[in-house]
Amino acid sequence: MNWRAIRAIVLRDLMLVMRARAVFLPLVVVPVLLFVLMPVGAVIAIRAGGESLEEFRPLLEVLPPQITDALGGGSLQRQILVYLLEYQFATFFLIVPIMVCAVIAADSFAGEKERKTLEALLYSPTSDRELYLAKLLGPLAASVGVSVVSWVLYVVAVNLLAAQEVGRLVAISPLWLLILAWLGPAVGALAISVLVVVSARVRGFQEAYQLGGVIVLPVVALVVAQLAGVLVLDAWLAAALGAVVWAIAGTVLVVASRGFRRERLLRQV
Amino acid sequence: MTSGPALEASNLTRRFGAVTALEDVTFSIPAGQVVGLLGHNGAGKTTTIRLLNGLLSPTSGTARTLGRIPWEDGPAVRARSGVLTETPSLDERMTAREALRFWAELWNVPRDEVTRRIDELLERFDLVDRADDRVGGYSRGMRQRLALTRTLLHDPPLLFLDEPTAALDPIASIHVRDWVRTLAAGHERTILICTHNLAEAQELCDRVIILRRGRVMADGTPEQVTDAASIPIGLELEVDADHAEAALRIAAARAQGGATAAGPGTLRIEGLARDAVPPLVAELVAAGASVYRVSPEQVTLEAAYVALYGGAEGAADGEVEA
Repeated sequence: MNWRAIRAIVLRDLMLVMRARAVFLPLVVVPVLLFVLMPVGAVIAIRAGGESLEEFRPLLEVLPPQITDALGGGSLQRQILVYLLEYQFATFFLIVPIMVCAVIAADSFAGEKERKTLEALLYSPTSDRELYLAKLLGPLAASVGVSVVSWVLYVVAVNLLAAQEVGRLVAISPLWLLILAWLGPAVGALAISVLVVVSARVRGFQEAYQLGGVIVLPVVALVVAQLAGVLVLDAWLAAALGAVVWAIAGTVLVVASRGFRRERLLRQV
Repeated sequence: MTSGPALEASNLTRRFGAVTALEDVTFSIPAGQVVGLLGHNGAGKTTTIRLLNGLLSPTSGTARTLGRIPWEDGPAVRARSGVLTETPSLDERMTAREALRFWAELWNVPRDEVTRRIDELLERFDLVDRADDRVGGYSRGMRQRLALTRTLLHDPPLLFLDEPTAALDPIASIHVRDWVRTLAAGHERTILICTHNLAEAQELCDRVIILRRGRVMADGTPEQVTDAASIPIGLELEVDADHAEAALRIAAARAQGGATAAGPGTLRIEGLARDAVPPLVAELVAAGASVYRVSPEQVTLEAAYVALYGGAEGAADGEVEA
């Protein structure tokens, strides 16, 4: 493997993302919105909730016993806060790797085609496999990076704000570790695999990103299911779900790699 | 370095579905030669470059680039070749220096040489002042020059230049031609130039290969190709004044375009096949004329190309590029 070339392509793709406002902006705005503003707003709302917090009681009552135990008892306000900050935001968090991978993969695969920079890359002394790997690693590395930064922001924001009511640190647990290091990258890889397939069939970044956006739907379903009390994303489910998503993403990526051949890519130049 | 030819194609054929882009193309290019690959748009020039760099594999036939089969050993072949693509293929969000650094990494240029080589090439192609500006603000000519620097970064023994002066102003074109001459001077690099600029090909190339509908139509030095075209030429002859009238009659009988007196003892002959010149001179001498001067017109490669191609016919007869 020509790792020097792979590294160069990854770094270049990431640098290009940083320089395109339309591509870079969502990478900043979405994490700040979802993991700073939204949780801070939620904590403030729950603090001021008063009687209306009773509406959450049915949700807490249908939680599996191990989750109820993990919430650690206490007032209704405290349990809602712990549930929301520890479990509910964990599902939101999966949006980060999907969004980052979709944006960067769309720019890297479809964007390269749109900018007409692909041909020179095809004449480089890389193999098809090295090119493909470089194109996959860029978005994946960025998604892990943005996820970690988002998580740090989230942990600092919510623990500073809700420490008094909750009485312990939240979002520092095996569940969050699994989301950052296992399930998150898995859904990111799935998003990349979808974008690889989509990008081969569209002309540019916007089209690829819009079509690839459907990948967020399973995560939305997970968020809704958890809000409805149908399931709770705990560490076990995150581990199992991660394995399933990796398997799907891996299969799609292997199949899509057959289309990532110079002969085929030349048709898009 | 390989001891054999730098480029070799043997019955190389490439089809895209029902369309034949290249058919039975055979040539051998020794190292150090500057070769022009000519032909209309869609004649198969770009397909040839892509095959020789392992971006495509052939439908049949074989090829060797620097001794290797390109579609089997693509990375190794491309590591030693530099390709100037028809469009510069540069990312507008990068500066020239960043782009060159990226390409240096990709081509595995020794780390301790990267800065020196980049500075040297930026200087040579007059890009130093704008080296830290983003390519998006560059003119077409500057982009072309930057793309040229990219092909040279790794100091390849083999260069493919697809329309190297197409986007350049006349001065920049002269610079690029000078640069090609400099590169070719030591006969250490093999250069394959695809161009529509036939005067440029005639000026720069040791040899030209003309493709038509994916087949080799002519292959040889520019002189051999112009000779092969058998284009009737114009000719000026100077004979002694006493035999001028007789010479005029003899010449008029041999030339398609007739002959006229262009001055005392000077004849202007039109439409004479090049190989008909020596017999004409022999006949004049046999008729007692003293021939002082024979000035045949030089046939340009452009004229030969048009004659070989049958005028503009080829442009509209379904040639494809893939």
